[in-house]
Amino acid sequence: MTTGAHSVHDLGGDPAGPVDREEHARTLFDQRVDAMLRLLAHPQKGYFTVDAMRRSIESLAPVDYHALGYYERWLRAVRQLAIERGLVSAAELEQRMTQIAQARQASPQNMPGQDRQ
Amino acid sequence: MTPGSRLAAGTPVRVRTGDPRTHCRTPHYLRGKCGIVVRALGDYPNPEELAYHRPGMPALALYQVEFDSAQVWGDRLREAPYRIVADIFEHWLEPAGAAG
Repeated sequence: MTTGAHSVHDLGGDPAGPVDREEHARTLFDQRVDAMLRLLAHPQKGYFTVDAMRRSIESLAPVDYHALGYYERWLRAVRQLAIERGLVSAAELEQRMTQIAQARQASPQNMPGQDRQ
Repeated sequence: MTPGSRLAAGTPVRVRTGDPRTHCRTPHYLRGKCGIVVRALGDYPNPEELAYHRPGMPALALYQVEFDSAQVWGDRLREAPYRIVADIFEHWLEPAGAAG
């Protein structure tokens, strides 16, 4: 007996196309997200575990889960967990994002943290 | 399975049913299915607790369990039968007589 409704990530047995087995080049964005996770989940820091990451990713709305890329899901989870653990507040993040957007508008060429391939 | 019990390779088991809304590592498609223990992988903190910033202790035994795809998928199987091997924690396993 298999249960009916299941979480978006738990897709074994669902209709699907072939598995994409190609290697994907990691962008600078991907590497940064990976680095953030490794630092925050490092046992010496212990802000959260990979299990908490998974829980956060699994609780994305299905429409977001499918629309976001692999590391974009990670980033959503890192953001949620950083707020959950009190490392940063949603308001602080919002403020910083506004600052960056303004700086980018003022000087598009000289953008700190600009993503270069 | 009682906590602390050790399942030997070859032991027939059945995956518990249930549909927790909380974090769970047991794939839904294996719930209620019968399999055979391949080997014990060691004891690990419970990921269902770790996921919510709790310690997850005492550690639970994790087992590699193998299933027959024909039994898992039934008439949905679209290819030659194969072995499905999954890592399943002890609290998701119960004894099964002769594995079906």
